[in-house]
Amino acid sequence: MAEVNLRKPLPAITTEAKPFWDAAAQQKLVIQRCHGCRAWVWTPRPSCFECGSERLEWTPMSGKGEVYSFTVIRQVAGRAASKAFEPDIPYVIAWVDLDEGPRMITNVVGCGVEDVKLGMKVSVVFEQQSAEIWLPKFKPSPT
Amino acid sequence: MTIRSKAAIVGIGETPTDRLGSKPGEPRKSSAEYISWAMHLALEDAGLSLKDFNGQGLGVTIPTAYPQPFWPEEVAEILGITPGFLLGGATGGAGSVSLLGGMAAAINSGLIEIALCIGAAAPFSEHFAGGIQPGDMRDWEIPYGTMGPNSKIAMVMRRHMHEYGTTLDHLGKIAVAGRYHASLNPAAYLRKPITIDDYKNSRLVADPVRLLDCVLPANGGKAYILASPERAKKLRKRPVYLKGFGERSNPSYGARAGSDALVMGVKDSGKVAMEMAGVKHSGINFLQLYDDYIIVVYLQIEDLGFCAKGDLGYFERTDFTFKGQLPIQTGGGMINCGQPSTAGGTLHILEAVRQLRGEGGERQVPNAKIGLVSGLGVLPYGKNLGCCTVAVLGNEA
Repeated sequence: MAEVNLRKPLPAITTEAKPFWDAAAQQKLVIQRCHGCRAWVWTPRPSCFECGSERLEWTPMSGKGEVYSFTVIRQVAGRAASKAFEPDIPYVIAWVDLDEGPRMITNVVGCGVEDVKLGMKVSVVFEQQSAEIWLPKFKPSPT
Repeated sequence: MTIRSKAAIVGIGETPTDRLGSKPGEPRKSSAEYISWAMHLALEDAGLSLKDFNGQGLGVTIPTAYPQPFWPEEVAEILGITPGFLLGGATGGAGSVSLLGGMAAAINSGLIEIALCIGAAAPFSEHFAGGIQPGDMRDWEIPYGTMGPNSKIAMVMRRHMHEYGTTLDHLGKIAVAGRYHASLNPAAYLRKPITIDDYKNSRLVADPVRLLDCVLPANGGKAYILASPERAKKLRKRPVYLKGFGERSNPSYGARAGSDALVMGVKDSGKVAMEMAGVKHSGINFLQLYDDYIIVVYLQIEDLGFCAKGDLGYFERTDFTFKGQLPIQTGGGMINCGQPSTAGGTLHILEAVRQLRGEGGERQVPNAKIGLVSGLGVLPYGKNLGCCTVAVLGNEA
């Protein structure tokens, strides 16, 4: 588990996203799915972007996906809070395409930054950031 | 539905670019100073006076970090205008091109006869609290340590290179052409010509994005004046008509797997604008493309349909300089002239007007009659740029 660093900017636990963070704290990845048209809806929102239905259900995911693309952060920039990420340098920011369809922005962890490749199979891990927030990140899947 | 040649640009104004305030002890100018300066230059160019705009249109681009939402109204106060129609360019970097469409429609409706569209920002001289972050960025990006737009564009660029075999030689050609044009533009900020090796050897900012891939933040103000065709004909400069306009905000929804992230909304908005103008690709004499990054210019050339997606040969054989088959960024673009926040994109409209008036100086595109301008705004979660706006301009109605 990563060292807990309370100075990093944390997501707001809105009523809309609370089920996501509650599940993450239990090491489970859940995403909204439309009860009507079965579309996966990510990021969280009040109604389905395909059919407009308000009946969205938080649904467990396989937690598996692949790296669509990535970059390596080697220096911090911009807002002051970015400084909190300095000890993590170098680290990977990635677009991970989940097997079920949605795309997440995340970190690839558990391997060297040089080992990350496009198309690499990854699976979810959770890193605790605060008492309530466990961030879903991804590590290389065993081959 | 068309607003083809229902309004014309009759005046332009642009302050010099500077980075005052980036070093301690330097004088600091406010956005208000740049905005007033740009307006006076545009009024002089058009031969109009401030009070001509009472009861008429005022369009103002909204800077990303400005902390109060009433900025367009405040600009009216700063300048001393009582607009009859006030419009905020709220599509980020696309704002100034969006305002072209909105104001031309208002002129065509008879609501107004002339409009001043203006924007300024002084990111180095004014210090904002960082603005309000949208929910997606606050909750789903920043906690992972993303470092602004560089992180996201880097992922687009890497994937394009992976999928199509695009190399730094293909991309660098755009950087070299832009800087060459800047070397011929007295108003550009970075004017020393570069080679393809300079581009390839520039410092990595967010792998694979390099320093010479990135736009140059700067202080500055920019303005243009639109008028009805009847009014335009009575003014001193050759009118430059808005012949076609297309906009696609949020061109795709949802963050989903697949390669939509490599396709820009100009694919649709460009088609709409070109059909309205009644022009084909062969009839377009130059492009002024929104350039926050080199890869973004590259993607637009593909998605506007000047070549097929991933056609590397097209980039290898095409001369993108003002003398070539497809002149682009003929003044150097924002990458070399500077980007005062969301006012930055106005630069592409102003350069198009200069070319279509024959005021391009050493970088004049021969026989320029029709040019295409784009504006892009917002980098949403998990995909390519948000609002994609295209205007086709011409010097004949």
